[in-house]
Amino acid sequence: MALQRASDRIPWIIKYRPRTLADYIDQDEAKNKLIEWIKSFPKVESRAVLLYGPPGVGKTTLVECIARELGLELIEMNASDFRRMQDIERIAITASDKGGLFGRGRVILLDEVDGINARADMGGLEAVLKLIESTRVPIIMTANDPWSPALRPLRNAAISIELKKLSEGNVIRLLKKICSSEHVECDEEALREIARRSEGDLRSAINDLESVSRGSGKVTLDSVRAIIGYRDRERNPFETLGRIFSARSARAARAAAGSTQLDNDMLMQWINENIPAQMQDPEDLWRAYEALSRASVYMGRIIKTGNWDLLSYAIDLMSAGVALAKKSQDRRWVSYRFPEKIRYMAKSKETREIRDQLAQLIASIDHISTATAKKDVIPYLSIIFRNNPVNASKLAIGMHMSDSMIEYLAGPRAKDVLSLVKEFEKRIRLRGSGKEEKAEGRAETKAESETQKRVQRRASREDTARKEAGLDRFIK
Amino acid sequence: MIYLVIMRHYNYIFSCRISLGYRMSEELAQLLWTEKYRPRTLDDVVNQSDIVSRLKIFVKEKNMPHLLFTGPPGVGKTTVALALVHDLYGEDYRRYVLEMNASDERGIDVIRTKVKEFARSVVVGDVPFKVIILDEADNMTADAQQALRRLMEMYVSTTRFILMANYSSKIIEPIQSRCAVFRFVPLSREDVVGRLKMIADKEGVEFDPDALDAIYDITEGDMRRAINILQAAAALGRVTVSSVYKVVGLAHPKEVREMIQLAFAGSFNDARERLRKIMIEYGLSGMDVIKQIHREIFSPDIKMDEDLRVYIADYAGEINYRLIEGADDEIQLNAFLARLVLLGKKLGASKS
Repeated sequence: MALQRASDRIPWIIKYRPRTLADYIDQDEAKNKLIEWIKSFPKVESRAVLLYGPPGVGKTTLVECIARELGLELIEMNASDFRRMQDIERIAITASDKGGLFGRGRVILLDEVDGINARADMGGLEAVLKLIESTRVPIIMTANDPWSPALRPLRNAAISIELKKLSEGNVIRLLKKICSSEHVECDEEALREIARRSEGDLRSAINDLESVSRGSGKVTLDSVRAIIGYRDRERNPFETLGRIFSARSARAARAAAGSTQLDNDMLMQWINENIPAQMQDPEDLWRAYEALSRASVYMGRIIKTGNWDLLSYAIDLMSAGVALAKKSQDRRWVSYRFPEKIRYMAKSKETREIRDQLAQLIASIDHISTATAKKDVIPYLSIIFRNNPVNASKLAIGMHMSDSMIEYLAGPRAKDVLSLVKEFEKRIRLRGSGKEEKAEGRAETKAESETQKRVQRRASREDTARKEAGLDRFIK
Repeated sequence: MIYLVIMRHYNYIFSCRISLGYRMSEELAQLLWTEKYRPRTLDDVVNQSDIVSRLKIFVKEKNMPHLLFTGPPGVGKTTVALALVHDLYGEDYRRYVLEMNASDERGIDVIRTKVKEFARSVVVGDVPFKVIILDEADNMTADAQQALRRLMEMYVSTTRFILMANYSSKIIEPIQSRCAVFRFVPLSREDVVGRLKMIADKEGVEFDPDALDAIYDITEGDMRRAINILQAAAALGRVTVSSVYKVVGLAHPKEVREMIQLAFAGSFNDARERLRKIMIEYGLSGMDVIKQIHREIFSPDIKMDEDLRVYIADYAGEINYRLIEGADDEIQLNAFLARLVLLGKKLGASKS
């Protein structure tokens, strides 16, 4: 054995942590996105990034490397710090106060935001949201599970960037490098075993390598098997589903549902998506959905009553209930799919928002609820907009619709309607003296949705209608 | 002859400018006909005459109790309420009235903040009270109704409520007992067809008379839907029986029926695709879908065993209940579709 040096006592995981971007391998996509974003700050889509990925793939390290490379001062706050409202606000002040006076840019790293505790870190999430809105400094947040419901507001406020699990090959390559600089004798098989067990978590792989080699200076397959126990890992969705759908006992199914990194709502969506592929027989299919449906009822009751004791029943049904629904013998492996619903919802988010705004507008004009507007008015409006651009444009003007609302209603005829609207508005401006009012009215609809203004607009709109009615009578 | 009206608004004060010098051959800013032809005063209201004559007495005396209007959609509850406050306060009525829709603002918070805030403020004017119009009050949660009941008592000297509901049974009894209840009946064929004809004439719309009857048959006394159908059909050209049915067909996604048929035929995945399309593209909630399914099940266009209709209706009711309990829309409807697949298969087996 070589001489004991001070560096030997530094854990490898710190010793071999990349210091520069050049050392930081893999994750090119995320790396480039993040650098691009920091460089174009503050001209960016959002002033915060949510960097997510499983443990040990290098989220914090990546941020550190980039900060060093770009010469930015890193202001860090992690789960070991209290993150109550006042703590976050203090960080915000430190970061923005006199920022730039020293000629050095800054970046705020809020590590492990999924660890912000609703109770212990009172108001923490809200404070982070406020910080994102007001910050003059880029904010990078990291999290393991981006789907956690608690993170939803942050997810919406930030740009999400994913760090993927490292491939087994990459893990092996890095382990080899460490072996050679530590002069440790490793056999290929042993490294493969370590890499396999690490499931893409480089940190745990390096820790394992270190603990096996310490003392013996040699790493063999046997020593790996003897020394390293399996970590009790949180399963990714695909593994969790596999374990649920293949479970033969209620117990195994429940255990699978218990070890997932998904929250329960998300797990239900995954199961919902994948039941049909797993259950070919209609009897099985129905039994599985019935169980999932019951689980979802329990989840609803939890939300309604706030009683989380019910959660275990929900889990019973969504795991064991679904797993044991399968009675037919037909067994074949089918790949699992990401819940389409989530994808659909993300894709249609903008459209749904426009529809909601439109429903609110109609509701306020026509004295009905938004639900009635969606059900009983929008379908008919849409017929008018798709078939009669002239009538449509007049309604669009009269109801102060925004361009995107017109596009939503008119679909393929949007161009016709929009150009007519422009023309009519021009005519109105030429004929009337109240130029600004018209233009202003439509711009407003686009920009805001607060009730106050809507009420005013509605009120003035009604006046128009009333005046018309009055005039009509007068003239006759 | 119509003149272009342009208005400018500051906070709650409206000054209207009418540019009389600019005569136009057509009005370029239009509202939906339901709003354009909504009667503005009680005198303009042609039907519900018993109710109207009683309300006119309140106007004359400048006093009224809390009111509860019940009746199916589109029979004029909101119109009458608005006409009533118009007649009470004049053109400027909006200063004295808070109008809310309980299905959009249904929680106890709204009652405790918005409603209470408005109720406790004092009025100046020759009518000694303000009015809060609460539409679709049967959508209020039970605790919100309890809170409301207290407010109705506490501020009765300064505030009157007009509550509207489809079913009075969904309004808690203590509230019902504090209100004068007015039951609105579905509009008659003459009322609806007469109104449609008046609108069509004013708008210069060509129509076949039996088309208007067809609209009545479809809407069964719901004036709002009737007028919306007329306006949409008019956008297609001459209003005929076939254009009326075309409009109704376009407005109601046929995917619901297709979805049922696909599930019955055993194609669960295709049925599920339709379901997603309905919910996401048309923006229908799970509750909307299950109700529409319920209607479809009894449609003669879907061929199935008569006993089965009842059986499926029962399960639809169960799913509806689960949705009320707060369960996930798509999961519940998938469970329903899975049931249909199973029924379809059993049926197919028994037939062959």
